Amino acid sequence: MVSGLLRQRKQSRETILGINFGQSYASIAVIDKEGHPTCIANEEGERQIACAISYVGEQIYIGNGALPHLVKNGKNTIMGFRNLLGHTYDEVDHTTILTAPLLADSKTPAYTVDILVPPPKPASNPRSAAASGTATPNPAALEPVPSTQTITVPEVTSLFLSTLLTSATDFLGVKPTACVVSAPTWFTSAQHDALKKAAQDAGIAVLQVLDEAAAVLVGYREGSAGEEEKRDKKVVVLDMGETSLAVSVVQVSEGEYTVLNKGRDDRLGGREFDNLLLKHFSKEFTKKTKVALDLPCGPDASAADKRADAKLVLAVEHTKRSLSASSGAATCAVESLKDGYDLSSSINRLRFDGLASGVYRQVGNKLTEVVKEAGLDLAEIDEILLAGASTLFTGLQQHLSLLVSPTTPVTSTIDPSEVIAIGCALQALHLENLKDDDLKVEDVLSSTKEKVDVTSAPIGLVVPGQESDELVVVVDSGAPLPVRRRVAIPVEKAGSVGLELWEGNHEVKVTKVERPPIEKSEDDDEEDEDDEEEEDEEIKTPITKKVKALGGVQVDVKAAGNLILEVVVQRNGGLNVKAWQEGNESQVDSFEV
Amino acid sequence: MASIVTLPITLSPAPSGWSKPSLSKPSAPKQLPVYPAGPSFIGSARRQILQRSFEEDDKHILSARQKADAAKEDKGDGLAFPGLGEEEEPSHVLSQDPKEWKKQDHYAVLGLGHLRYKAHDEHIRVAHRRKVLRHHPDKKAAQHGANDDSFFKCIQKAHETLTNNDKRRQFDSVDWNIEDEVPDLKSLSPEQFVDVCNKVFAREGRFSKVQPVPEFGSLDAPKKEVEGFYDFFYNFDSWRSFEWHDKEVNEGSDNRDDKRFTEKKNKSERTRRKKEDNTRLRVLVDDVLALDPRIKRIKAEEKAARDAKKKGTANGAGGAAKPLTPAEKKAAEEKKKKEEAEKKEAEKKALEASKGDREAAKKAKEAARKNLKKWKKAIATVISSSNYFQPEGTAPSASVIEKQLAELDSLVEILEPEEVKDLKEKVEKAGNGQPAKDALVEKAKATGEKGAGKFTEFA
Repeated sequence: MVSGLLRQRKQSRETILGINFGQSYASIAVIDKEGHPTCIANEEGERQIACAISYVGEQIYIGNGALPHLVKNGKNTIMGFRNLLGHTYDEVDHTTILTAPLLADSKTPAYTVDILVPPPKPASNPRSAAASGTATPNPAALEPVPSTQTITVPEVTSLFLSTLLTSATDFLGVKPTACVVSAPTWFTSAQHDALKKAAQDAGIAVLQVLDEAAAVLVGYREGSAGEEEKRDKKVVVLDMGETSLAVSVVQVSEGEYTVLNKGRDDRLGGREFDNLLLKHFSKEFTKKTKVALDLPCGPDASAADKRADAKLVLAVEHTKRSLSASSGAATCAVESLKDGYDLSSSINRLRFDGLASGVYRQVGNKLTEVVKEAGLDLAEIDEILLAGASTLFTGLQQHLSLLVSPTTPVTSTIDPSEVIAIGCALQALHLENLKDDDLKVEDVLSSTKEKVDVTSAPIGLVVPGQESDELVVVVDSGAPLPVRRRVAIPVEKAGSVGLELWEGNHEVKVTKVERPPIEKSEDDDEEDEDDEEEEDEEIKTPITKKVKALGGVQVDVKAAGNLILEVVVQRNGGLNVKAWQEGNESQVDSFEV
Repeated sequence: MASIVTLPITLSPAPSGWSKPSLSKPSAPKQLPVYPAGPSFIGSARRQILQRSFEEDDKHILSARQKADAAKEDKGDGLAFPGLGEEEEPSHVLSQDPKEWKKQDHYAVLGLGHLRYKAHDEHIRVAHRRKVLRHHPDKKAAQHGANDDSFFKCIQKAHETLTNNDKRRQFDSVDWNIEDEVPDLKSLSPEQFVDVCNKVFAREGRFSKVQPVPEFGSLDAPKKEVEGFYDFFYNFDSWRSFEWHDKEVNEGSDNRDDKRFTEKKNKSERTRRKKEDNTRLRVLVDDVLALDPRIKRIKAEEKAARDAKKKGTANGAGGAAKPLTPAEKKAAEEKKKKEEAEKKEAEKKALEASKGDREAAKKAKEAARKNLKKWKKAIATVISSSNYFQPEGTAPSASVIEKQLAELDSLVEILEPEEVKDLKEKVEKAGNGQPAKDALVEKAKATGEKGAGKFTEFA
């Protein structure tokens, strides 16, 4: 083109892609021109792209378009293939497979599907003078030939991921150069590798396969106001997708994430809500039309019931979305649900929360269980981060917020259905920025072994002369080493001030309160199932008791101001403590252990 | 960076009698998995890989951040290109008719008149944004109640043209604010000449598809640079095109023939103009080459070098103590004469033009080659008349003849023309038979290393 010297192209930014590859739904996020992460829609306008592939004759449907085929063409539709990655045939739990059958004799799990192979092109002799003279070709030869195709799980994954890549490429205009793919928290390293390989086969430049919980943490971090998270906190990441629930308890120490515990429940997911709604609407239908319909139906139900089931499942999906989106009543309408009768009904939030309270409680129990396993009390949790489209129900969010202390936020500032993809995109961006520091992505990612050294007990300070046995925590437990913290302590007046450093122990102080707790905003007086908390008259506050003195510092303060204390815990567990008055760094009192 | 959190406690002077508790070690660390995610993890990995302490890392981050801030300042809209888009707008620019966009000076409209083809995409973007802010019809309507958006249309047209690479190329090709004129070069002093040419060729160079374009250079540029420059401009590949001057095809007319006719005419007109432009540049380069003081200087330098070399070789030959044979004397004289003639000729030619010079050089070269042939033939005649140095009466075999002639060829190739001449004279003087062979052998030996191993018959 025109002189390259005069019109240098703008330095092209790396194009970043984050893929949330769920068991049932996937979503993709990119970094837009302003540098913000956004979840993008595919060419069908869907932000939640179903992980489904359906082979219908000569056609292949991928994504949401494949969902309707689950009913008509179930044995040629593949779903839920992600969790099979990296497994051998024998390891697979066959009860969970609802779709195309798996081949028994293959090492890697593989599906067989019926397809139609396009007919072989007739031997071409174009423009042959004899063409008109020859007999009309046998019409049967031009028909597609029924055939079967074997496709392994990694191949299915590659095929699906490549459609995601195409969507992102269409949106960006160029092929993304850096990508992070999410994987469930419980994936083994073999499964990580299998996923990475499948993604690379799809032509995606995978920088990292990132844990979903980590993606959530990174995603929400961007949403928080400060550039850096200030303090140590204990966070629960609750990821409830279509088919499963994953709970992780994570210690966040200045933005580093230490995993305290994690758990999952493969039966608990958005599908539960679907079933509840199906049941509800089928009852309504029967009540109105006197046509017997009991949904969700089993495998030996009649064809009419199955058809009704499939129709209603699609319609309920929409109802579910409107329930979480707006406080009004959500409608559900299906034409000719069964025996020619239409269904037109609606459900409001209150009613739905009543239906779903059982599921809510199961989710709450799972969360409590995982937190308990981590050796923590629910009162010690500082924040709950939500991910997955099923957590969009306000009823669920309210239920969770009642479990923990009233000051603990239940965060869904970024759309929970998009946060994983956004977190992946952000992580890809962070990794891509490493190039500025001349660091290799592989080096950085391999720098963490499976487990790292973290502080085992909180370190805090005690003001001499005070009788309290509580610590003011400076370095919390679970902080990856080496760790450095700086704190400022206001000093009232000049003089020689001293501080003691103690190691502590987390405890929960229980205060009995006589009057009943504040009335709840949620008025679910119709249901009295989950009202145990209302009778709870205890207020639990996490405290840190001092256990062992580590040392002390003494500084002559010239005037009232701030005293700066720096605590560094070295990689070997050693402790360096320094203290000085703000603005007077020459007078330092320090000790080392 | 180390962030400082203020704790919710206050300190007062320690009570009397307080002493620091004795030191003890904190409990041993325990092992837990960590998510390899987030900037903080990357920061800690960076410290670990690069073996930096907290303080060193702080310094690095601080300097990187400052750098980034500085870069951002350069790029930020508010701060980039200060003054751009805020200059006075002359009334003739403001009162332009947007319908006359073909005659519109797009750079002037955006306030980039001083940059023109040098304007960067970023310049255009920023200038357009500022102009729009200034001249938006909504703003004007609010200020004066006027409903005149004609200049705004001009701005949009200018932006549309200049941000489209194709259109910008077409406009730049015919930008009438940059003249193709060249002042009369003959009347300029060498310094002025170089000065003017530098400007002219920088301007012409903007059309080059190959960038960067070599500069005309200074008065004392070395030969290589000068040659490189002329080489480039004689092989100039220009992107200049003349679509801008196309006559509008009357879109409304249904007459296809009419459209085709106009299109055809436009096309031929474009090629004509392009051809004209190429000729213009070629003529310009020709003129400059003819008048270039540096070419003259380089020629003079080369000649001086040649003379010096010749003198050196002549002195070397004379120092060989051997008195000059009459033939050699004659040759030397002849050479001298020839040289003088050449010199005269060269001077004459140089006076005429460099073109003549080149021809003369070519002629001289050809003459030398002819002479060489003549001398070789003479030697070959001697050899053949001596029966190829074979005993009397025996017919020389074909292979011997061939070999000898081939060796003669290579001998002539190796020797300088003067030496060949010398050899020819020697051989002729020696006459037929062995003496001629001796002369040949002697010369072959004198070639030394260059001819080593090449001669079997003349060894």
